[in-house]
Amino acid sequence: MIAKPKVAIAWLGSCGGCDEAVVDLNEALLQVTDAADVIFWPIALDYKYHHIEALRDGEIALSIVNGHVRNSEQEEVAKLIRKKSQLVLAFGACACFGGTPGLANLRTKEDILNWVYRDAPTVINPKGCYPQTRSQVNGKELTLPEFYERVYALNQVIDVDYYLPGCPPPPDLIASALKAVLEDKLPPRGSTLAPQKALCDTCKRNATKPARIAIKDIKRIHEVDANPDVCFLEQGILCLGPAIRGGCGEACININIPCRGCFGPVEGVEDSGAKFLSALAAILDVEDDGEMRELIERIDDPAGYLYRFSLPVSILGSKRIQES
Amino acid sequence: MSNFEPKLVCFSCRFGWGYLADEDALASQIDNWIPIICSGKIDATHIMDAFRQGADGVLILGCPEGDCHFQDGNFETRKRVYLLQKVLASCGIEPERVRLELSVDPEGKTIAERVKSMNESIKRMGPVKRVPSAA
Ligand code: SF4
Ligand code: SF4
Repeated sequence: MIAKPKVAIAWLGSCGGCDEAVVDLNEALLQVTDAADVIFWPIALDYKYHHIEALRDGEIALSIVNGHVRNSEQEEVAKLIRKKSQLVLAFGACACFGGTPGLANLRTKEDILNWVYRDAPTVINPKGCYPQTRSQVNGKELTLPEFYERVYALNQVIDVDYYLPGCPPPPDLIASALKAVLEDKLPPRGSTLAPQKALCDTCKRNATKPARIAIKDIKRIHEVDANPDVCFLEQGILCLGPAIRGGCGEACININIPCRGCFGPVEGVEDSGAKFLSALAAILDVEDDGEMRELIERIDDPAGYLYRFSLPVSILGSKRIQES
Repeated sequence: MSNFEPKLVCFSCRFGWGYLADEDALASQIDNWIPIICSGKIDATHIMDAFRQGADGVLILGCPEGDCHFQDGNFETRKRVYLLQKVLASCGIEPERVRLELSVDPEGKTIAERVKSMNESIKRMGPVKRVPSAA
């Protein structure tokens, strides 16, 4: 019997949603396990890092990696996986762009630790204990991974072969990505395994867009009863659809929530925030500087809104991890 | 940081800036000068690209208000720049690293001066500090 190709599913700084999305493949998952051996999947199987270390380099055909990198353990696992795998798929917004945890790059490491261990109202820490990478307890040394200065996307730590965005990626795209791997029908390396066009392109509300949108007010989704059939932008609600890659199945739009951008920039664009910013500026219907300022002030937390999933890969926060 | 020499990119609209001058001669005096047709062409992605490629500041020279050859390209850019400045500020990056000046100078004599003056203020800021500056 020919050995089945080996597949690993790893989570780094992850919420578990991406693993759940794989579980949600249901029966399709059985087809995958028929065709391949899942040799590592911490959320579901009891395999240890040393099992991976024992493999030959490149022995894993495909590693599906979700989550961002923010500590030394995540970096170590990412590098180990890379060494042992022929293909690495960055799975989900966190692995692809840093994801929502990437918004932590708006704060320093010190700010974060001080809040979590000292200042948050729910903290009781009379001795002022902060996590240490090494500490002595009863004569034994305990170690913890080092918490880094910032959040990194996977490709800022290791080379990545393919990307599958989403928070989490939708089942149809996961299934077709796995199929493409198993049937050896992958596009060129570096590709994103999702449609190339912007979300607006497939959004059913697109037809309601006038030739030229002109908004006089900016509203947040919870402040209004949004019309479920009309383009959000036309209603003055910020929707990142024009700058974001489609393929999510319009999950948010369908429940009357504007696009927040978990699929990352549309093909050919590096910085989806800047792309959206230009589109937004163009539709602000203001006559003079005063009106302009007043309207733009209505946008709460513009960096957070424009880079909700992609701050670590935007120019505003991009850096590759130092080679160690 | 006394020996920091800022890198500046300057975009200027050909309708208002230096159209009477010899462009090559002007270009030899100004580093990273990019004459374009209408400041309205400058997309936020171009500005971000400049930063991505190592610029410390971006200066955009457009035509005076109400005087755009294409009606309101300069005002469009003003909206974009203002919005971008808000975003930069909320990332802890000095909004003054992007400057838009709406005026006119057919001979382009003041372009180099304007670049120099912006250079001076960027010199005081130092290089772009990405948030948070990595160790
Ligand atoms: S991409 Fe979304 S679902 Fe996946 S780990 Fe990140 S936050 Fe969770
Ligand atoms: S802006 Fe949003 S609601 Fe409007 S067409 Fe695009 S994706 Fe749909």
